[in-house]
Amino acid sequence: MAIRSLKSGTFSRSGLVGNDVIMPGSYESIATVTVGAGGANTVTFSNIPSTYTHLQIRGIPRTPGNATYMSVTTSGGANYGLKGHYLLGNGTSALAGVLNPTGTKGLALDVYVGSLVANQFGVYLIDILDYANTNKYKTARAMTGYSDSSSSLNMISHLYDTTNAITSITLYADGNYPQYSTFALYGVN
Amino acid sequence: MALQLFKIDSVEVNSPVTSVTFSSIPQAYTDLIIKFSACSSKAATDNDQANLTFNSSSTGYSDKLLYGRNGSAASAASTTSYITWAAIIPAASATANTFSTSEIYIPNYTSSNYKSLSSDNSEENNSSTDYFVTMLAGLWSNTSAITSVTLTCNGGYFVANSNFTLYGVL
Repeated sequence: MAIRSLKSGTFSRSGLVGNDVIMPGSYESIATVTVGAGGANTVTFSNIPSTYTHLQIRGIPRTPGNATYMSVTTSGGANYGLKGHYLLGNGTSALAGVLNPTGTKGLALDVYVGSLVANQFGVYLIDILDYANTNKYKTARAMTGYSDSSSSLNMISHLYDTTNAITSITLYADGNYPQYSTFALYGVN
Repeated sequence: MALQLFKIDSVEVNSPVTSVTFSSIPQAYTDLIIKFSACSSKAATDNDQANLTFNSSSTGYSDKLLYGRNGSAASAASTTSYITWAAIIPAASATANTFSTSEIYIPNYTSSNYKSLSSDNSEENNSSTDYFVTMLAGLWSNTSAITSVTLTCNGGYFVANSNFTLYGVL
């Protein structure tokens, strides 16, 4: 890990460079979940501290060939989203459209999901900026995708109509997230 | 290894401002990231643009935009005195309390080559027509190291509670 000298502003790979203080990075792991044998219908990050500026989820999901969704929870309860939008490429066309919440599953994180081949996983990169600001509704932006004949690369946008700080995030899979699907939540200072 | 991200500076808008500038950017990082959550005061519309310039320069910018809006995907290009669509953000007619989620990535900002950037952006709105989901590739045809970045609200002000954070990447 590179270490920055507060005296000189220079970086070193050694902590033994005469620094009185070591400056920590602004990107911190909050929690990581790896789905075990038998799979999991939902993955929830709860008790999210409100001390960060932004949140990011990095995921390596595998789905059973069905859609996945996201919802958030605040002190006001669960919020399944007000509206979402997508921009995607499916290997043939670029498309755009609207996402409406699907009951208590939330807003979709992908649009086209095929039957994945063995050992194939996809990608989630989800950002929620200013998640604890009580003057704002919460906007999430996600890049998700799988590479197979019937899936798509998705740029996803979600609007959650709550001004309360987000304290919990739930990822939901129709069917189950199979074993070895992995999700990590990070806080960005 | 975990992503090495260091906050360089941040701006929380308390009173409306037309622009936000990060200046005296340290030259010790590899790349820069700007994360911002912003809204415009521009009246009678759902959205506005956040434009970008480097080093107070008004020449050498071009960009290409891929966007989703009103149920269709489309693309646009611009060559002007700034990066035109660094982000598209909600404006006065959009759903109340709604701000963008925007990120600009600027690799190799100290190099003596021309500077490229990319941006990913959500301009949310409780609407099936008036929204933007965008991806942008931009170019500043200048070999100077980037020492300052300015984001300007094109048609109004960045309203209170907009915030901007500049990070250095190692």
